[in-house]
Amino acid sequence: MLNTLIEAFALISTWEVIVSMLAASIYGLVIGSLPGLSATMATALLVPVTFYLSPIAAIATIVAASSMAIFSGDIPGALLRIPGTPASAAYADEAYAMTRKGEAELALGAGVWFSAVGGIAGTLSLMILAPPLAEIALSFSTFEYFWLALLGLMCATLVARSSPVKAIAGMFIGLLVSCIGIENPGGVPRFTFGITDLFGGIEPIPALVGVFAVAQVMRAMLTPEPPPIPRRKFGSIMAGQWRLTKKYHWQMTRGNIIGIIIGVLPGAGADMAAWVSYAMSKRFSKEPQKFGTGHVEGLVEAGASNNASIASGWVPSLLFGIPGDTIAAIAIGVLYMKGLNPGPTLFTEKASSMYAIYLMFIIANIIMIPFGIVMIRLASYVLRAPRSTVMPVIMLCCAVGSFAIGNNMFGVVTVATFGVIGYVMEENGYPVAAMVLGIVMGTMIEQSFVTSLIKSDASVLPFFERPIAAILAAMAIGALIWPVLVWVWRKLKRAPVPATSAR
Amino acid sequence: MRLPDRVTGLFLVGLGAAAAYGGWQLPPVPGQPVGPNVFPLVIGTGLALCGLAIAFGIGHSFEEEEELIPVEGGQPQPPTGKLYGLRALLPPALLLFYVGVADRLGFIITAALIVFVTSTALGARWKLSLPLALLAPISVHLIFSKLLRVPLPAGLLPMPW
Repeated sequence: MLNTLIEAFALISTWEVIVSMLAASIYGLVIGSLPGLSATMATALLVPVTFYLSPIAAIATIVAASSMAIFSGDIPGALLRIPGTPASAAYADEAYAMTRKGEAELALGAGVWFSAVGGIAGTLSLMILAPPLAEIALSFSTFEYFWLALLGLMCATLVARSSPVKAIAGMFIGLLVSCIGIENPGGVPRFTFGITDLFGGIEPIPALVGVFAVAQVMRAMLTPEPPPIPRRKFGSIMAGQWRLTKKYHWQMTRGNIIGIIIGVLPGAGADMAAWVSYAMSKRFSKEPQKFGTGHVEGLVEAGASNNASIASGWVPSLLFGIPGDTIAAIAIGVLYMKGLNPGPTLFTEKASSMYAIYLMFIIANIIMIPFGIVMIRLASYVLRAPRSTVMPVIMLCCAVGSFAIGNNMFGVVTVATFGVIGYVMEENGYPVAAMVLGIVMGTMIEQSFVTSLIKSDASVLPFFERPIAAILAAMAIGALIWPVLVWVWRKLKRAPVPATSAR
Repeated sequence: MRLPDRVTGLFLVGLGAAAAYGGWQLPPVPGQPVGPNVFPLVIGTGLALCGLAIAFGIGHSFEEEEELIPVEGGQPQPPTGKLYGLRALLPPALLLFYVGVADRLGFIITAALIVFVTSTALGARWKLSLPLALLAPISVHLIFSKLLRVPLPAGLLPMPW
């Protein structure tokens, strides 16, 4: 244990890791703070760069950029009432109300401080939860993997803030995309329409860049530019945070726990964690009437929650290759690329790399405090960058980055296509996160499904015979029929009304 | 581009049916009960069922209308016109333009055109978009081609590094 820890320290204390971590932190802070550029997009655009780094440095950039971007989304939320990332949307109103009361420092300070605390709590959960789960996961067969992957996809549809039917449809679209290519049980070209570029299948990363970056530029074309930020001088940012920690320690802990749970659930990420925690804080508060008027309590809980979910989202990613959220989906792509294939054996064979990941998370969350303070002070300058200069650069990065992934132009076509698909889906209320998870998990789910069927001689019964498989199956099926039940329930409740009026 | 649920639902029914049919047509693996055809069949059927449910409005009651956050002092109204919605297609069109001409014109020229058009479409004056179109491609080229060694097409205007 101690040896692995020392090894892990040796892994991360190289110049390459330190420099890439610092650079990624600054990049994450800037992208996260610009309204409309989300943390997922920041991470997706970073992937081409990670090709050229060592495995640990590559993961360091993802860890640092995603943690920083989630915090940094609070800045325009508090100053402009426009959340920088969807994860800050839950409490942007509250933070802005505080700014108007002259408490901008307190709101932003709470953002930094409780984000850092949340991130460290999430990391601790990753360290504590992952190894014992890995022990259990070692005995999993394809039946369990199939149900687990299906359960992951179903969770993603349940927590979507949209119609569950549309979310399931989005998931099916993603799975259908993953069918493309010759990487299937029979090795035959499937849905390739004779196009050789499609034989290799659709790479998840260009699809992600398209859905999260190109679609965003497309939206920007139709929406008016956000107003420029007023210049202001800030007082001490960290003053009063310790008092808040003592006063709201219970809320903070609750936020951390909710964030960890939501992070571990596949498909549900930081934005969901923030919404749930903010609602919870209001529900259990002693002074709920103060919410919405610039009350710091909800900010504490939700800020602690969304950053906790970032680290705990890595638990299912590292163990099963099932992404905890869209950022983790990107991280999985990078892990595969760097030879750290997710799976329970990762914790025994590559233990030092795992410890290095924990350490990087902790370091990223500690340097978040000084970096965050500097970023808040510089925010008035960074946020002045007009959209018409940022978006063209994003476009170039999309084109070059997607080209760099396979060094062929087909990647750029993929990005453009998925930009359109993502834009149309989002406009019509189909959650794109469900589709993304479908694309990322499609191959895995098909492999475990078909292998299980071959093992069972095309019988469905063995899918339910092993105890863990049966539990997972019950959960997955429950998640699938839940929207139907709710729909029927509502119909039944409404039905008696016309019956009585007819009499 | 907000379409009625009926349209998107029926589209998904068609897509699902096509996928199921396409999967059904695939050759099975000899001597094995299941092959590459099973998964598309399942997915296609599921997608078609979801499409039907959406077309009939099942689950619509779960959808939350997106809360628009009003900005102090009134939101500037976006100009509305028939062709205005088509502006959204500009970014993917520019990316396809890049695919088409980058090999002939080279990265710098193509990228400069993309930056200029995007920036102008987002309302920048030429005083801003022209220098941006000059500087952004060169710096992106410097980072990706020089530092990360991505083989970007040189075309008509190769960079000195």
